[in-house]
Amino acid sequence: MEDIKNRVREVLTDGCLDYKQKKHNLAYIAESTQAYPKVSDEAMEALADKKICDLFEGSAPYRPRYILPDYKLALKKGIKYLELDPPTDFDEAINFLSILYSYVPSITGYSVYLGNIDQLLLPFVADLSEESIYKKLKLFWRYIDRTLPDAFVHINIGPEDNIIARAVLKVEREVKQVVPNLTLKYDTEKTSDALLNDAIKTVFEVAKPHIANHNMITTDFKGEYGVVSCYNSLPEGGGSHTLIRLNLKKITDQHSGNTDAFFAETLPKYCEMTLDIIEARIKYLVETVKYFETDFLAQEGIIKLENFSAMFGFYGLAECVNTLMKNEGHDFTYGHSEEANQLGHRIVEEMKQHVDARPLPYCEANNGRAFIHSQSGIDIDVEETAGARIPIGEEPDIYSHINAVAPHHHLINGGISDIFHFDDTVKRNPQAVLDIIKGAFKKGMRMFTFNIANSEFIRVTGYLVRRSDLKEFREEGSRYGSTSFAANSMDNKNVDKRIAKRVNSNERTASQY
Amino acid sequence: MNALQANISGIIKSSVIDGPGNRMVIFFQACNLNCMYCHNSHTIGLCNLCGVCVQACPTQSLKIDTANKRIIHDTETCVHCDTCIKVCPENSSPFYKKMSVENLISEILEVKDFISGITVSGGEVMLQADFLVEFFTAIRKYPELKHLSILVDSNGNVGLDKWDKILDLTDGFMIDIKAYSPQIHKQITGFSNEKILDSIQYLDKKGKLDELRLVLVPDYNNGEDEINKISTLINKLSPEVRKVLIKMRKHGIRKKYTSLKEPNPEEIRKVQNRFKEAVISVFTI
Repeated sequence: MEDIKNRVREVLTDGCLDYKQKKHNLAYIAESTQAYPKVSDEAMEALADKKICDLFEGSAPYRPRYILPDYKLALKKGIKYLELDPPTDFDEAINFLSILYSYVPSITGYSVYLGNIDQLLLPFVADLSEESIYKKLKLFWRYIDRTLPDAFVHINIGPEDNIIARAVLKVEREVKQVVPNLTLKYDTEKTSDALLNDAIKTVFEVAKPHIANHNMITTDFKGEYGVVSCYNSLPEGGGSHTLIRLNLKKITDQHSGNTDAFFAETLPKYCEMTLDIIEARIKYLVETVKYFETDFLAQEGIIKLENFSAMFGFYGLAECVNTLMKNEGHDFTYGHSEEANQLGHRIVEEMKQHVDARPLPYCEANNGRAFIHSQSGIDIDVEETAGARIPIGEEPDIYSHINAVAPHHHLINGGISDIFHFDDTVKRNPQAVLDIIKGAFKKGMRMFTFNIANSEFIRVTGYLVRRSDLKEFREEGSRYGSTSFAANSMDNKNVDKRIAKRVNSNERTASQY
Repeated sequence: MNALQANISGIIKSSVIDGPGNRMVIFFQACNLNCMYCHNSHTIGLCNLCGVCVQACPTQSLKIDTANKRIIHDTETCVHCDTCIKVCPENSSPFYKKMSVENLISEILEVKDFISGITVSGGEVMLQADFLVEFFTAIRKYPELKHLSILVDSNGNVGLDKWDKILDLTDGFMIDIKAYSPQIHKQITGFSNEKILDSIQYLDKKGKLDELRLVLVPDYNNGEDEINKISTLINKLSPEVRKVLIKMRKHGIRKKYTSLKEPNPEEIRKVQNRFKEAVISVFTI
């Protein structure tokens, strides 16, 4: 009890936190008083020494980690709980969504998904002029950034070219905000080169949107999907109960024996353990907390339990491969040698097989199995490279880079990301980036994210921070939660070598208290 | 198997600065100008097997292969110090390779999904015009490559008959105007420029002049009279031709030319203003 009191006092007196951030952190402390969902002692040990990481979801899950409301349905039906009738024009639609966003739970306290916004708003355009749409969206964007100050808050546009998608990109270039994170769904048939070109020029200014391979991702889902948080692809009207990630570096460091033994014993053991933790957390959320019976989003059909699954994440593939190679007496490095790349693919394939072989309760959205996700890292990952990426600073030329990582992408239905870097000169030739994105998608990449060297924005893992915000945060704190997360990342990694305060990413900050 | 082979000094598989889109750039060895500010002077000459580089190599990584009339380069022991290039009396290098059309096609096939097209550059690529005819024809005939655009980056110093050979196979040409006055041109490049001026106007007339570039060298080609003459020439060309003003940079130029001055912002502004007065829109890099 004394310990709890001290932790609470630490939060209350922390001058770098604003009122909302304090409340969030206090809730995390309160949650930590509950016993962890029942798993084996060995699994608890793996969690404690970070062989398996629950990304600070808390010990008593009382809301799903990722919720993707069916905003389209909500706009059509209205929401009784919020006493909102279906909107009849553009202003009402924006007002409706603005209210609903603030009620969507997540781990950080801010909705990770704001919808495929162009598709949602197009029916309300009527005879509004381009200028008038632009002005309304600009105010909407300001509202989103100031009231949902978390870089994991993600909005989607595309795949069709339309007046809203164009206005969104224009607003992004104009306001230069970190929030919301943005993805353009690119479809070879439906997306025009002009829209992709506009998106690329927007990346030059604000390091977003990400470009998603819509043709590929759409085949992984029964219905519509959204790209949320950091490159997570999940079903709309549902989401993911939890995301637990396996630290491939740590389990390899502690593995004694050769590569065959790794595949025969260590990897299956920890995959199962990760899935055990996922299962226990799902059951706690669904059966103990009864979230889906009690929350208005579920009661009104805006989300449905049958549209949920869970996410099995992994990270540190590069270190895992390099260590296994070294143990076998080879000097092959991930991203640079075909042997190492092949071993990397084998590890991902085997993990996928373990995930697909294990039935999980309440995961109907993916036929009773978890989605597999190449997790893009958080600030505490000092020694581990994100997901299946090539370590920062060691990336080979762009074609070798794409050829090394692309073969993973078709397996990773929960989302995977690699970040590419272009010299400033490419700004004069956006068509060059367009060529490379199209080539990358032909090679089977699911998602394409790129940065311009020395941009004002730095992509940390999957989200952005402004260089200037980081500087200020180090001096006086930030309105954004994700800035402290980013500051830690910058201190722990060479993120700004590769790569751009107020914005939050509370998933870890709360656990510090 | 095509009988023709070309001397290739290098291939860059992803370039964003040699025409629109992501392009594969093939550099041909040998040039018929000798510009003071040449950044790749080792692409000017052809190897005559004199052996100076073989003697100078600190790691003994070079050998003369007399039978095949070439230099053998041991990539295992080479430390990339570039001593060979610095000592070459011919402004050449032991690294360029003879490549066939088939060789080049297979290089393009590797990256075909990622590029808008190819750019051939040099050296002076038009010196190997007969090879280009075969090479471009092969690209146009190859089902997976025929959509690629083909650009030629040339100094323009060839007779008009050379252009005719590849005109229909090429999407566009990018030509340098190093100076308008023959004397100044001779000072900068060692050669006069009558053919170049003719080529510029000829390619424009044929609708194939994509880009015209002026590399600004203070005290040589930035005088008022010179810029006015260049402006007059430009104003006779179609307005669609992209005009680029390039600041001469000293990076990589030969020791004997290090006294050249890079243009300062004031000198650049002056030239930009003169073009502006002549209603010419110029992109500066």
